[in-house]
Amino acid sequence: MSYGYIKIGSEEKAFIAKVEEISGQNVYSCYQCGKCSAGCAFSYKMDKTVNQFIHLIQLGQKERTLDANTHWICASCFTCTVRCPREIDVAALMEAVREISLRENPEKVRIADLPKESLEKLPNIALVSNFRKKTG
Amino acid sequence: MVQYSYFPGCNLKTNAKGFEKSALAVSKQLDAELVEMPNWNCCGTVHTLASDNLMKRIAPTRILSRSSKHVEILENSPKEVVTLCSMCNSTLKVVNKDIKNDESKLEPINFQLEVDEEEYQKDMEVKHFLEILRDSVGYEKIEKSVKKPLKGLKVFCYYGCMLLHPDEAKIDDEEMPAVLEDLSESLGAEIIFSPLFKHCCGSYHIVDQEDIVNTQVQKIIQSAKQNGANAVVVACPLCAYNLDAQQKSMEKQGLDKELLPIFYFTQLMAIAMGEASNINHFEEHHINPEKLLKKLKLI
Repeated sequence: MSYGYIKIGSEEKAFIAKVEEISGQNVYSCYQCGKCSAGCAFSYKMDKTVNQFIHLIQLGQKERTLDANTHWICASCFTCTVRCPREIDVAALMEAVREISLRENPEKVRIADLPKESLEKLPNIALVSNFRKKTG
Repeated sequence: MVQYSYFPGCNLKTNAKGFEKSALAVSKQLDAELVEMPNWNCCGTVHTLASDNLMKRIAPTRILSRSSKHVEILENSPKEVVTLCSMCNSTLKVVNKDIKNDESKLEPINFQLEVDEEEYQKDMEVKHFLEILRDSVGYEKIEKSVKKPLKGLKVFCYYGCMLLHPDEAKIDDEEMPAVLEDLSESLGAEIIFSPLFKHCCGSYHIVDQEDIVNTQVQKIIQSAKQNGANAVVVACPLCAYNLDAQQKSMEKQGLDKELLPIFYFTQLMAIAMGEASNINHFEEHHINPEKLLKKLKLI
C-alpha cells in the first residue's frame, strides 16, 4: 500500500456506518491478525488481501475499498468467518461492500454480454448464484 | 418406514439427475424415503448476508412453509425438510435460523406469503440427507445393506464450503469432518485424505472468471492424486460441475492426462447397494466414471 494522507471526515464515517449497517458487524473488532488472509483460498488473486481490505474499511476509504478486487474475488466460502478469532462475519463485510457497489452500479456482470453457449452449458446453480452476487 | 419431505432444488432436475435418482432409490432401500414436496421454488442458491435485504429471504421461507404443510400428509415424518444439494442446505438453514430468531424479519415476509395463503410458523428444521444417513439411519444399517462393497475405490471426500460453513449451516465439525468418510467407509471404499478437502472450488466464478475455478480445481485434484485417490466424492452439484467440467477442459488444453471421476455420495451408495446402474445418469458426467467402475468390476 502506498503512503498518503488519510482523511477521516464525515464521508468516511458515513461509509463505515453503511458497511456496519448492511453487514451487522463492528469493523473495529478486527485487530489485523491476518488469519482471514492466511486461510483464504483466493488470496493470490486479490490486489488487497482480506485484512488489508478490512483496514481500508476501518479507515473509511470508500474509493480505495471499492477499487480493490477483493470483494469480487471472494466467493463467500466463509472460511474466514468461521476462523476469525474476533468472531467477525468477514464474508458479510465483503457482501456489504458488494452491496454498496451494486446499489450504485447494479451490473458487475452484464448478463447480455455472456456468450450464449456458456449460458446453455452452465448449471443453473452457477448462474443463479453468480447473478445474485454480482447484479443488483 | 419414515418419510421425509424432500426439497430438490433446481439442479437436481437438470444436470444432476443422477444425484436425485440414486438418492431416491437408496432412501427407499433404507426405509427413510425422500418424498418430493409439491410446488417448490428455487431457494436462491446463496443466502444474502445483507441484514437489510428481506426480498432474498422470501423464497427460502416459502419453501419452509410449504414443506411444513407437506409433512402433514407423510408417514411418520418429523418436522424436517431434507435437501441433497449442499447450497440449498446452507441457504435454507441460515434463513431458517435468521427468521426464527428475528420476529421483525419474519413478520414482513409472512405478510408477503399471505398472497399465497401461506404463513411460516417457525416449526421446521432443515436437514441434509447426509445428516439423515448419519443420525437417523445409521452407518450400521447402511453397511448391512451393502451388496457389492466398493473394493478398490480410493475416494477423496471433498466437502466444499457449504456443508461446513457457516456455523448455522454446518453438518459436521468444520475443520475435521468425518461424515463423508464414515459413509464411504461403510460402503467398503478406501479413504484418501487430502488437506484441500474444503478448499473452495471457485463456485459461481465459473460464469465470468473461469481462470479462478481452473486454478482451484487444479490444486484440489492434484493434491488428491498425490495422496493416491482414484475418485472424488462430493455432495454439491456446483462442486461436481466445476471439478468435472474443468478437469475435462484442462485435458483438452493438454494440461492434464489422468482425470479423476467425480461421484455424488448417493451414486456410490446406489452402486454398493445393488441399484440399477442407469439411475446414476453417468452420461451426464464430463469424465465417464464407468471406465473406472468396470476396471474395478463394480458394474
